[in-house]
Amino acid sequence: MAYDEHRILEMLHEDDISRRRAFESIVRNFSEQLYWQIRHMVLSHDDANDILQNTFIKAWTNLDSFMGYSRISTWLYRIAINETLTFLNRQRATIPLETDDDDGLSIADRLESDPYFDGDLTERQLQEAIATLPDKQRLVFNMKYFNEMKYEEISEALGTSVGALKASFHIAVKKIEEYFNNVD
Amino acid sequence: MEKEKIYKIDEHEPRRPFNVPEGYFDNLTQNIMASLPQQESIYSTRITVTPWMRIRPYLYAAAAFTGIFFCIKAAVGISSRNSATDTAHAEETTIYSDEYIDSFLETAMIDDCTLYYTLVDVN
Repeated sequence: MAYDEHRILEMLHEDDISRRRAFESIVRNFSEQLYWQIRHMVLSHDDANDILQNTFIKAWTNLDSFMGYSRISTWLYRIAINETLTFLNRQRATIPLETDDDDGLSIADRLESDPYFDGDLTERQLQEAIATLPDKQRLVFNMKYFNEMKYEEISEALGTSVGALKASFHIAVKKIEEYFNNVD
Repeated sequence: MEKEKIYKIDEHEPRRPFNVPEGYFDNLTQNIMASLPQQESIYSTRITVTPWMRIRPYLYAAAAFTGIFFCIKAAVGISSRNSATDTAHAEETTIYSDEYIDSFLETAMIDDCTLYYTLVDVN
């Protein structure tokens, strides 16, 4: 079934079978892009997979609260972002402080031993640099740089003005370049 | 002097350095759909609106208005009964005509002094 948002919205208000079929279409259409958005934030495949599952379960169980005022993708992005930020906050609260080394090697070590990371040293350092950014800035940078989303799309998903997003991305780039120049 | 190497983001092609287990995206939709709660469980948590639930607020509102009405009615009733009692008392005092009182006094065989004390006692 080709993805037709208008038809999907209609089906979501029909009987159980139509609802499920419409939701399946939503999952098929958005799961991969949401996965990458989450993965860039949490880095681990297993964590990204869990958060993605939770995102869709939350969307499914709150389907009645989705009134169709925004696009389905925006609604899903918001749920995914909330789930991701909640996960990161919980992770920060539970991981002992001593593993968060001053020299930032913990992320590099994690990525080096991760079977689902195939980047070189520069890419590992880039991930380390990105990890130093505040959550919101990191989100903006990943959405723009890796997912190549337009500022208008990011603005819709994050509820932030395009101007503020441009400023946020610019600051993030400067910080990352500064990080690299200090490492070198 | 060796020129310092400056890292520039836009000089690097964005590349996703992550990968996923083989066939992960092929089965992703199926796995997610399998993890969703069944429709029944969603519907069981949904509130079914019965006719009673629909008319209940109106009944409660009607009961409240009826209560307020009776309270007001009772309050008005008490005050009007008080004023009615006063009126009746006033009527009692004016029901006897002067002629009747005069004839009563003439036949009562009482002197002025007794009449005075009688009037003082009554008031």
